[in-house]
Amino acid sequence: MKKGRILVDFLRQSWPLYAVAVLLHVASSIIQVFFPQVLGRFTDALQNNGLSSGLIQEYSLLLLAIGASYVVLACVAQFLIMYIGRRFERLTRSKLFMHFTGLSERFYSKNGVGKLLSYVVNDVTGVRESISMGVNQTASAVTLFFAVVTMMLYSGIPLFLLASSIVPLLLIPFIVTRFGPVIMQRSKKVQASLATMTESAEEQFGGIRVTKKFAVESVMNERFFTTVEQIKDNQLRLVRVSSIFQAIIPFLGALSLIIAISLGGYLTVNGELSLGHFVALTLYIRMLMNPLQQIGTVINTMQRSRASLERLNELLSETPDIQESKAAASLDFQGKSIHIAGLSFTYPGARGAALRDIRLDIRPGMTIGIVGATGSGKTTLMKLLLRTYEAPKGTILFDETDIRDITLESLRSQIGYVPQDGFLFSTSIRDNIAFSDRGRELNAVEESARQAQIFESIMAFPEQFETKLGERGVTLSGGQRQRTSLARGFIKQAPLMILDDSVSAVDAVTETAIMNTVRSMRKGKTTIIVAHRISAIKHADQIIVMKEGTIAQQGTHAELSAKPGLYASLCAIQEEGEADG
Amino acid sequence: MANSIRNWEADQKADRQTGKNQPKPDIKYVSAFRALSAFAKPHKWSFMLIFFCTLLAIAAELLQPYLVKVIIDDHLMAGKGEYSAIIGIGALYLGLAAMSLLFTYLQNNMLQYTGQSIVAKVRKQLFEHISKLSMSYFDRTSSGSLITHVSSDTESLNQLFSQVLMSVLRDGMTLVIIIFLMFQLDVQLALYCLLLLPIIAGIAIGFRSYMRRTYQRARTQLSRLIAFTAENLAGMNLIQAFHQEKEQQREFTERNEGYFRANMKEVKTQVWFRCSFDILSNLSIAFVTWLGGMAVLNKQIEFGVLYAFITYIRLFFQPLNTITQQWNTLQSATVAVTRIWGIFALKPEVENKAKPRALAKAQVRGDIEFDHVVFGYGEHAPVIRDLSLRIRAGERIGIVGTTGAGKSSLISLLCRFYDVRSGGVRIDGMDVRDMEQSQLHRIVGLVQQEPYLYSGSVLDNVRLFDTDIDEDTVIEACRLVGADAIIQRMSDGYNTRLSERGSGLSAGERQLISFARIIVFQPKILILDEATANLDSYSEQLLEQALAIVSKGRTTIIIAHRLSTVMKADRIIVMRKGAIAEQGTHSELVRRHGYYEELYRHSRGKVFA
Repeated sequence: MKKGRILVDFLRQSWPLYAVAVLLHVASSIIQVFFPQVLGRFTDALQNNGLSSGLIQEYSLLLLAIGASYVVLACVAQFLIMYIGRRFERLTRSKLFMHFTGLSERFYSKNGVGKLLSYVVNDVTGVRESISMGVNQTASAVTLFFAVVTMMLYSGIPLFLLASSIVPLLLIPFIVTRFGPVIMQRSKKVQASLATMTESAEEQFGGIRVTKKFAVESVMNERFFTTVEQIKDNQLRLVRVSSIFQAIIPFLGALSLIIAISLGGYLTVNGELSLGHFVALTLYIRMLMNPLQQIGTVINTMQRSRASLERLNELLSETPDIQESKAAASLDFQGKSIHIAGLSFTYPGARGAALRDIRLDIRPGMTIGIVGATGSGKTTLMKLLLRTYEAPKGTILFDETDIRDITLESLRSQIGYVPQDGFLFSTSIRDNIAFSDRGRELNAVEESARQAQIFESIMAFPEQFETKLGERGVTLSGGQRQRTSLARGFIKQAPLMILDDSVSAVDAVTETAIMNTVRSMRKGKTTIIVAHRISAIKHADQIIVMKEGTIAQQGTHAELSAKPGLYASLCAIQEEGEADG
Repeated sequence: MANSIRNWEADQKADRQTGKNQPKPDIKYVSAFRALSAFAKPHKWSFMLIFFCTLLAIAAELLQPYLVKVIIDDHLMAGKGEYSAIIGIGALYLGLAAMSLLFTYLQNNMLQYTGQSIVAKVRKQLFEHISKLSMSYFDRTSSGSLITHVSSDTESLNQLFSQVLMSVLRDGMTLVIIIFLMFQLDVQLALYCLLLLPIIAGIAIGFRSYMRRTYQRARTQLSRLIAFTAENLAGMNLIQAFHQEKEQQREFTERNEGYFRANMKEVKTQVWFRCSFDILSNLSIAFVTWLGGMAVLNKQIEFGVLYAFITYIRLFFQPLNTITQQWNTLQSATVAVTRIWGIFALKPEVENKAKPRALAKAQVRGDIEFDHVVFGYGEHAPVIRDLSLRIRAGERIGIVGTTGAGKSSLISLLCRFYDVRSGGVRIDGMDVRDMEQSQLHRIVGLVQQEPYLYSGSVLDNVRLFDTDIDEDTVIEACRLVGADAIIQRMSDGYNTRLSERGSGLSAGERQLISFARIIVFQPKILILDEATANLDSYSEQLLEQALAIVSKGRTTIIIAHRLSTVMKADRIIVMRKGAIAEQGTHSELVRRHGYYEELYRHSRGKVFA
């Protein structure tokens, strides 16, 4: 995608609506400026005793007609513009989400959820504000301004009177653009200090056990108090500027009026200006204050949203680093073995290699156990098998086919993956287990829940499989989460299954039961089990011991525990009791 | 709008409290506001001053139409041609404008200062009050809802001062003065204008409540959209691994569409409101022109009066609009104030005795006795049933048992987070209920499964920001537990900043820091509550060594569900359903072929064979 596209693309689609809205605005402003003119004429007629009750009625109705029609036109225009803005928001958010689903883990490891959310929420809103409100206000302010000036000149109010009255008003946009960013910046500081206080409260309440246990409440109170004082200081700093700003704009308006009254009054006294014009002038000046203030606001909004637009375009031009090759085809994994041939891998931007020259053959139907300390490369290897990171060409093969030549759909739908963290979505338990195919019948869901030893726990919830998880629903314990995640992997009955340290939070008794199920269920199907605890992998056909990105040892449990080495010492640590007893 | 992520977070935090056994606070608005006024009372002179500043601030804006009226009627219409009087009025107006400039500034600053002082005081006292509540309260209440009280609720209180009070003062007074001036100018016309007031107010209030609803709906939809996006971003690797991109996109579109629709409804309401309000404003101007014009024609009033009326009617609508906007803020502020005072009304469940017995920490030996203890949470069935246990000073005790066996409850009683139903818990023969809580807490040290880190330096994390403890003590403690080498390797050594999230330390290293805290604070009794769970074997070994040092000379109680951690204890207590099932050393218990042996076999994976 080329840079700077979202806005152009959107405008190409919706310019006719835009044009209509702007035209309506222009029309509305032009009608609006007749208001003081009519009142002026009314005044003159009154002064010249040229009024009758019929004429007064006519003038009143004329004023009403002007008032009603400009309001209606302005409102329709406003609605259209807001509609356009919301459509932009909807379209851009869709685009962003679609784009997110294509980006790989490399991208997500660099960008936190908070940052990405702020693209979806704040930046999109920022751009929307300037294309809807910005355009809206510019259109109405500019036309109103010119219409007022034209009207005043046309109606015969002398130019020099006009010019000198308007001078203070012209300072308004300048002042708005001067003060706007400062106010913005200071109010951001207020928000930031509020966030700091919230974080501080969060921290204190989160650690309340520690605070209480060490009886350091007073120290912690002091820590919190400083954040409260900070807010107060920042608020006062903000109000010092914002109150000047709030006071100065009406002041400039008053200055304009003073010039108009004094100079206009002088001219009227001398008979050079009609009373009607004098009245119209004061009304026009009131009318001008708003658009001038708006122009200033718009300039500020535009500046802010330009940065947002740039960020959005940059995000959308990020190319996914894992893409299907054109020649990719689907492949049936059944009966295929996996060859890992001299696989080395370094995370982008990392100094050292995460994996070095891994060579491994996994025959179909085998169960492989992988152990090793944190950071030894176990999970990295699994990520490469899932192709969430890209392995070098020719290093991972399914029979003869390179992993890069298989479609992502074919690859991922044939791997049952159970990640370490047991991440679940805030939907029903059923939808979580049947995540790979939301339409799966309840029987299948229940069956895999049984296999993962979570069935009983689920049935204990009032809504059973329809129980909602997450913030608005039930919170599962770490062990329950892991077991639900296991069920989600089991239900796929995939030709290849990867259990990435999937039973770490489950107690020993349940772990035993689950591992027994896995063994009987996965008979004849390829299974890879990554674990910290020996008990989870000791029955594997092959055990791989990883150390610092390499395979340190390889063999069956009996072979490996018989000879001195990493595996044997791991056994010793974990089975210490035996040595003692 | 930039607030929406924050709103969403606040919604989430507030949501967490629902469903928990929290008594719904009685809504006693009046008493809550009376309590609030106690906070405001010391500032009563400031409020008086602010009132007068407001009056002076709005004078220029309000007197302008009147001044122009004087010019028109007395000078221009009269055709006297006295220019000097016009200049005089101009100068007066200039003076008023300058005064308005000054007093608007003063009023804003003073009101903010006063409001902020009150809010800051409420925040501090609220925080202090919450910290004083018993552990049982924190177990029941999610920290999310507490944070909502301290930050969002007090922020609503802030808005009460900065927006509601501000508007009531400024806009309310503007309205009153306009009405007053209108009556001064012409009573009859003023009465006609007054007829408008209920209509305007009716429209405004009617629309406001509807607008509030549409706004709330849009906000809920947006929260849903953000929540969905946040979750999907966090679980993107899963979505991709399960190849569910299309399905999730479909669900996203559904929510995106929902938000769009709710939003358009809100937009429509807004536009309708603006449209009818503005048309009404123009209608009333036309009405005044007609009535006033007739009056001028009949020589009942002068033209200047009509001019002033037209201008005043226009000035009338702005403050009315702003003041009705405050209705919503006032409502949410009321709820917030009530909630805040609901917290203030809470009393800690565990309280010090009127005259707690003094206890010199240095003399404490560390004998513990549970004497026929019965305990249950709230009204629930007891989780500890008639449990008696004596632990000698310096003994190392392991407690095992499955989840729900009552291990952690036992510890909560020893720390007096809760009080026993019957029986007693004694340290060196003194009942824990007779001690002052802060003293008890310094005697009994606790290391939990999840070590808690504060945002601050390593140094401050070990000494818990207590600057009375010097750096050398901290370094010495870290050296003892074996953390010194790790800390020295960090970028800024002991000054490296840590935080609860993303500290760059492994779970084992974090736990070492909490071990160092124990060395620094020197409790006589040490409790390890699953302190070595969820660690890999290497980290576990590291902690094992540290534990040997930390437990030296202290009565140590180790709770674990992994047996390897407690095997070396002097005595192992096996708990089951709130009572002690077996006790003895590891080898004794294994020989007994009872419950312990069963647990032991499972943990070693022997059942596989």
